[in-house]
Amino acid sequence: MPWQRHFKSKRVKEETILKNKYTREFLREEKKGYLFVLPALIFMLAFVGYPIIYNLILSFKDVNVMTFSKSVKPFIGLKNYIEIFKDPTMKTSIWNTFIFTIGSISIQFVIGLALALFLNLKFKLAEPIRGLMVVSYLIPMTVTALLFKFMYSTSGGIINELLMKVHIISKPIGWIISGNTSMLSVILTNSWVGIPFNMLLLTTGLSNISFTLYEAAQVDGASAIQRFFRITLPELKPAILSVLVLGFIYTFKVFDLVFVMTNGGPVNSTELMSTFAYKLSFTQFSFSRGATVANVLFAILFCVSLGYLGLIKDEEVIG
Amino acid sequence: MKKRVFNNKQKNIILCTMAVIIACIMLFPIYWIVVSSFKTNAEIFSSPPTFIPKVFTISSYTEQFVGKDSIVIAFFNSVKIATCSMVLACLLAVPAGYGLARFKMRGRKVFIIAFLVTQMLPVTLILTPMFLVYKNLHLLDSAFAPIISDATISVPFVVLILRTYFLALPKELEDAAKIDGCNTFTAFTRIMLPISYPGIIMTAAFSFLFAWGDLAYSLTFLSTPAKRTMTAGIYNFMGKYGIQWNKIMAYGVLLVLPVVLIFIFLQKYIIGGLTNGSVKG
Repeated sequence: MPWQRHFKSKRVKEETILKNKYTREFLREEKKGYLFVLPALIFMLAFVGYPIIYNLILSFKDVNVMTFSKSVKPFIGLKNYIEIFKDPTMKTSIWNTFIFTIGSISIQFVIGLALALFLNLKFKLAEPIRGLMVVSYLIPMTVTALLFKFMYSTSGGIINELLMKVHIISKPIGWIISGNTSMLSVILTNSWVGIPFNMLLLTTGLSNISFTLYEAAQVDGASAIQRFFRITLPELKPAILSVLVLGFIYTFKVFDLVFVMTNGGPVNSTELMSTFAYKLSFTQFSFSRGATVANVLFAILFCVSLGYLGLIKDEEVIG
Repeated sequence: MKKRVFNNKQKNIILCTMAVIIACIMLFPIYWIVVSSFKTNAEIFSSPPTFIPKVFTISSYTEQFVGKDSIVIAFFNSVKIATCSMVLACLLAVPAGYGLARFKMRGRKVFIIAFLVTQMLPVTLILTPMFLVYKNLHLLDSAFAPIISDATISVPFVVLILRTYFLALPKELEDAAKIDGCNTFTAFTRIMLPISYPGIIMTAAFSFLFAWGDLAYSLTFLSTPAKRTMTAGIYNFMGKYGIQWNKIMAYGVLLVLPVVLIFIFLQKYIIGGLTNGSVKG
């Protein structure tokens, strides 16, 4: 029927008008939103986005102290990457970075979890002590590094003195000046910094577990150990996962702690990819090589970060 | 019934004692840095070590204030760089956090992910290219270089924390402000900013602390000793004075002092910020 068609087309017209109005409003809103966001975005693009691309270009060129002043720097393709992977120091630094990261996150996670569980028991001092522990996380890394360097030292170092007093060792150990113990020493120092961070995140996770679960388990006669493995751990899983992944990301890129404590030494025993990249760029002035190592570090971190984003996608984080 | 109360009390005492012991072990390094800074150089190396200085001296501190490389210059450099970086980061990031929380726009998810990812970047990645960029811009060895680079660390942090903060505020407030004649911008500056001050104080404090503790940028970008910050100062101090640990520890205490003061005054904001920021990215 014609009138029906007429009616239908009128409705479509009304709908498009409505839709246009909505889009116009949407666009106006969007414009305002961009005005708020763009300054920060442009700043980050200029001072983080651009350097990342510049870094990539650097790694395909040969820029060092000899060629720096020349206006045209030759493209050399993948040569930097091929050469850097032939360098035994690179292999050592990749290996060390993983050892350092896995060692640190294991120690700080176990102690952090133990502390979180302990301070989650209801007693008077729990709250203030938890607050106090955070202080070690806030101390500038440089100071922490120097403090531990002092405590590890062979003459006057408190750690050697204490161990000798309780007769665990008979003469001082050169903690950070001997290749056998230097990695362990920096791992322990980094863990000391990371423990409060792990503790706080896991405490938040613990406080989200419903108390009724424990009550029900108690009624069913579950022991403390059963309650821990059957309720606490499974319920804590999301918090544990994010602590471990974030811990991995933050530890993998540690620079200043190792730079100040050992600067990669002795004999590369604590050389990380970050300190190696710095050394190449700023003591040997082969900027391209430094950029290449930094890119390898970035590539690994980027993959882990993407994994982390996939992990938190379901939560309201991005929404 | 009475017995049970007694047991609980006992349990409380045991738990508190354990907690204090654990805290003493964990915080011992902090005690040690303070104690060592008041010892004489001879006592530092005495065996067995003394837990309370026999000879209490403040010479490690007073010596820092005299001479050519006095700590005062480095202190003001640090304050200048950390403050400027904090202001810059907040000026850029507070509106951005608000924009991402309140407005629907295309690409919003991409922006948020970009900010999340930049938080995870290693310092060394930016160091080499920025060194060359600053060199070309003739900004090397000027305070602008570390100020800008420190701000790149704080901006994503502030944006993401404040976004969740603004999301939690009731939208009705803005609607009411608009009815009363505010436009989008005045609603933001007159209504939203004043009521979100706890979040802004907390993120500003963190931006300050990030820049205050930074070593890599100030050491790499600033070459003139008189322009260097305290972190670079203590690093070079170690190279120059080797194992005069009492002096190095005293320098360390002076470097940590502002951090502790900020922590004491803003404690309730900071602990909340630590957990929020990390769980939610």
